Parts: sequence; structure tokens; C-alpha cells
Amino acid sequence: MPVCLRYLVARREAILALLLVIAVAPVHALPSYARQTGQNCIACHVSFPELTPYGRYFKLSGYTLGDRQTIPLAFMAQASYTKISDNQIDDGTGTGTTTALSEDNSKLKFTGASLFLAGKATDNIGGFLQFTYDGIAHHSGIDNTDLRLVGRYSAPGSQEPDLLYGLTLHNNPTVQDAWNSTPAFGFPFTSSPVANTPSTPSALVDGSLAQQDTGIGGYLYWRKTLYAELTLYRDSTGPFSWLRAPELAASTRLKGYNPYWRIAYNREWDAHSLMVGAFGMTGNVYLDPTDTNSPTNKFTDWAIDGQYQYITDPHVITAQATYIHENQSLDASFSAGNSANASNSLKTLRLKGTYYYQRTYGATLGYASTTGSADSLLYASGTPGTGFAANSVPDSTSWTLELDYLPVQNIRLMMQYIWYSKFNGASTNYDGFGRNASANNTLFLNLWIAY
Amino acid sequence: MKSNFTSRLAIFAASVGALLTVAAPGWADTTAESAQRAQKLAVEVCSSCHGPGGVSVSPTFPHLAAQNRDYLVAQLVAFREHTRGEQAAHDFMYGMARSLDDATIHALAEFFSAQKPAPARRGDASLIARGKAIFDKGDPDRNIVACSVCHGADAKGSAVFPRLASQHADYVQKQLTVIQNALRAVPAMHGIVQSLKSDEMSAVAAYVASLN
Repeated sequence: MPVCLRYLVARREAILALLLVIAVAPVHALPSYARQTGQNCIACHVSFPELTPYGRYFKLSGYTLGDRQTIPLAFMAQASYTKISDNQIDDGTGTGTTTALSEDNSKLKFTGASLFLAGKATDNIGGFLQFTYDGIAHHSGIDNTDLRLVGRYSAPGSQEPDLLYGLTLHNNPTVQDAWNSTPAFGFPFTSSPVANTPSTPSALVDGSLAQQDTGIGGYLYWRKTLYAELTLYRDSTGPFSWLRAPELAASTRLKGYNPYWRIAYNREWDAHSLMVGAFGMTGNVYLDPTDTNSPTNKFTDWAIDGQYQYITDPHVITAQATYIHENQSLDASFSAGNSANASNSLKTLRLKGTYYYQRTYGATLGYASTTGSADSLLYASGTPGTGFAANSVPDSTSWTLELDYLPVQNIRLMMQYIWYSKFNGASTNYDGFGRNASANNTLFLNLWIAY
Repeated sequence: MKSNFTSRLAIFAASVGALLTVAAPGWADTTAESAQRAQKLAVEVCSSCHGPGGVSVSPTFPHLAAQNRDYLVAQLVAFREHTRGEQAAHDFMYGMARSLDDATIHALAEFFSAQKPAPARRGDASLIARGKAIFDKGDPDRNIVACSVCHGADAKGSAVFPRLASQHADYVQKQLTVIQNALRAVPAMHGIVQSLKSDEMSAVAAYVASLN
């Protein structure tokens, strides 16, 4: 074995050993918010990152409850094993030979790690900055970030804040939201970076702008009942470039200031909480992210979402539903010959239900569906494994079963399995090279720790 | 048998009273400054779980409104000193209480004890009736002392004996289980609840929750 390879293997083993040491460390070592409040993870999380009613209040309070920490750092890491149902794809040469879809399949991998700077700065300023090393792609950069300036108003004689209000600076639409039915912290909370996932680009509000553009917004939360937010998104350039992870040339770059809106009705009674809401945004995206004179495509998203939680000891039940509709005006792409239509639509539906016993043993069933307009250029066929079906539709449908075990509150052992009944437009032979949707079914075993 | 039990009960009540009088925390006058600090804490922090004025929504968090002042002081001190040992105390309250000084604790107790109590919650009538029987009379044959001996006939308690009236039934039942497992330092209760069955706890909890 070459020296450099031996070094890499030794380093990987050292990292895994470090993870093991951290994994067996006592639970009093908690992430920075827990250190700030002195409370345990379960005060704010059903299981991280899904928030409890108190967790939502903590977040919308700008992460400012508790005592400021001298060094508000936290650490998160994941190690995983992925098994794709069929890791062999046609090599496209027409000879019938195959090649590996992923070299990381059926291997234990150090998936990645994050360092957080997270906590309160003053009674009115708080937030978090996440820096992540991607152990599969072997690069690092800024991840989700949310910084807040908040205030509270209590009417004379009121015994609780009647109004929470705040400003937020962040780099991912809905990362600032407090309910887990919005995309940034929606289910699945983590999934295999090795798996072959549908190739359809997600809607603008559904992750396409994550760590690529900047949001500056304001929100109101009235008596834990009504939430309203308006945020403007712009490109992460100039003073905001530190909020962008990829190179500008590889980013989805917005032109000007693009509005995002959010309303939600929240009700809490006994051990129950319910939210029904809607959100949406409009965004103009440069065809060429390096050229501000290039034409733009316009995306208009609207979504409805809901969440129910029943939290007692020992039983916890939670459910989320999200439907996102996107209208795509693709004049720029159409003129450039990148899309077959001048306008398309994309629809995304996600449903998820979770049960936890003693906040330790959890089971989650999720359903996801994407449908949309046929477009022979956007959803082109002819690529083994990752191409679209001959009908050129972006449709995919999947079910996800996840079992979780949290021996202590900051360690999560996961077994996740995803079944595809439709992938890139078809159930069978979707890529035209004989591959069926079910060949992408994936088993994902994951160790997830936060410290 | 009954007269023996009555004698034991009287001795028990006197002993518990004497013990708790000795154990009760000293009382400091609430100053205007500590009262102001406590009110700000109650409104901006405590209310996030215990609700406005200490009337909570979720049964995970007890009502504090109209709770007895001395009991609140004792509990906040117990959280701060980590002498309340149940998991929920560790998960939620150790951190909240860690920075509270005595004056603030006393002022918080003053604040919440002066609030209007949570409304009673009526539930299953037969369960409530069964709970009332245990609460009022106990079960002499099983050495279960009537709850009313310490908590009062109206379940409003006094001094360090907590008010139970209109408390969340789920919370009361949880605490009975916690005490049965000796996770709270209330030796007076340990013997009483030792033979209390889960369905009896449920009945007592439903009864006290139904009281104004």
C-alpha cells in the first residue's frame, strides 16, 4: 500500500475513533444552545432537528433565551453506510457492459462534519453559523446560517410577550422558519450523499437557493398564534459573498431583490399543537450567474403546509405535510435552447408521520412525489442511471421508512430505507438502458452526533 | 384497626409538618427590584413553557398560578441545587434555575402565588369519584394516607404542601410516579404512594384536576 494511501486510511480510522470517543462521552456535553439554556436537547427538539413548541419559541426569540456563552461552539458529525439496490449502470457504450454508479456504495464513510458558532450575543441578538466539511465531495464551506435581531412587546398587564418581532439575515429560504413542514428543515432531516437521487432540480423555495443567495427579512409572531414574514432574497455577492458556499459561476444567482412571504396559524392545546400555513416566493434567476447582463428566468412558487404534534412522556406523535407549486417562466432558457418550453410547472408533495417512544425509539414514514410539465431539453433522456425517461417528465415518487435510536439525546443512530416507485419519469426502464426505478432503492445506516 | 390508623395518621401529619417546617427555606422580603426582575422573567421566560401568569397549555409543564409560595421557593431551590432528580427536572429546569439568586426565587414565588389559578378540568365522572375517595379517605388497609391530610380538603395545600387543585392531571400522575420511584426528595410522600397503583394515581390526578 502506498504511503499516502496508508496515511489516508490511518486518518480515516483516527476520525472514526474520535467519533466513537465522542459518541460514548457523557450526555452533559451538549451543543451550544443546550449549554446556553442549561436545558437538554429534548426541550427544543422532538429529535434533532425537529422542533417542539418551545423550540420554535426559542428560535423565533432569536436564540436569545439563557446565558451567553464565552465560546458558543458546537460540533456535529455523521458517519454512514449506504447500500444502493443496484449499483451497476449501463456504461452507455452500447456493448451491454456496466459501470459502478458510485464508488462509495457499500462502504463505511465519514460523511461529514459541521462546526457551529451558535448562541446569543445579547438579549436581542442571536443566531448560528454553520461550517461544513463534506466527507464525500471532500470540500468545505459555509452551510446554513441564520442571524437575528429580535424584540418583544407585551401589552400593559399582559403576562407573556404578545408579540415577538425580528429581523433575520440568512442564506437558505425557510432555514429561518420554525416549523418542520418547510423545506430547509423538512424530512428527511438527513439522507445518503452516496445514493442516486432524482435528477429534477427542486423548486426555487425548495433548496435551489440554499447557501447560494442571501435573505434579509422581518417577521412577527403574535401570541403564539399568527406568524407572518416577508423576506427579500438577493445574490450573495459583495458584502454578502461570505454567505455563499459554491463559486459564483456554479450558483443559482438571483437578480435584484426577490420577495418571499410566509403566513401561519398556530394553535397549542394540552399536549397538542397544530399549524396550517402558506408560503411562497418569486425569483428572477440569471441564465449566466457570472453575467449580470444575461437574461433571466422567472420562478413563482406558492406552497401550503401543515404540522401536527402531540408531545407527552413517553409518547410523541408528529406529522407534516407540504405541497409546493412552481410556475416557471423560462424565456431565457427557451431562447438559449436550454428548454423545450417557454413555461413549465413543477409540483412537489411531501407527507411524513413520526412516532417516538421515550424520545429514544422512533419510527418515521415519509412519502414524496414530484410531477411537472414534460420538457425534452430540461428532462433529457439518454444518460444511463441519471437521465430521464423518453416521456421527458420530471416525475418521481418515493416512500421512506426510517427507524431511529437515540441512546442519549445528542446521538442518533438511523436506519433509513427509500423505495422508488417512479424515478426520473418512469417506473421501469426510466433511463432507456433498462434500469428500473426500484434499482435506486437505498439503505442508509447513519451515526449522527452533536456535541 | 381504624383507630390505630387514625392515631398513626395524626402522628404522621404532625411529624411531616414539623419536618417541613424545619426544612422550609428561609424567607426574604421581596424588594421592588427583585419583584421587577421576577416579573420580567415570568413574562419573558417562564411564560414560554408555563404560560401567561403561570397557566400552562401543555401538561408537560405544571401550572404555577396560585401555587403556594413556600412550595415554589423550595422547588426552585431544588432545581438550582439539583436535588430534584427526575429526568424532566434535569431536562428543563436545572438550566432555567441555575442563575436565580435567592431574592429572585422568592420574588418569582410571590409573583406566581398571587396569580389567578388555572381553571378546573372536568373529566370522567367515575374516575373523578374514585379519585375523590382516595384523596379524602386514603386506604387504611394499605397504609395509604388520605391526600387531604396534607394537601387540604380542597387540595389547595399550604406552605410547602403544594396546591394540587386544577393542576394538569397528566403532570400530577407523572409526579406520583416520580415520587414512587424516589426521584424527588420528599420522604413524606414516598411511603404514602408506595402501594398506590397506576390506575389509582390516574384517578387522584383526574380528581384534583377537576377542583377549582
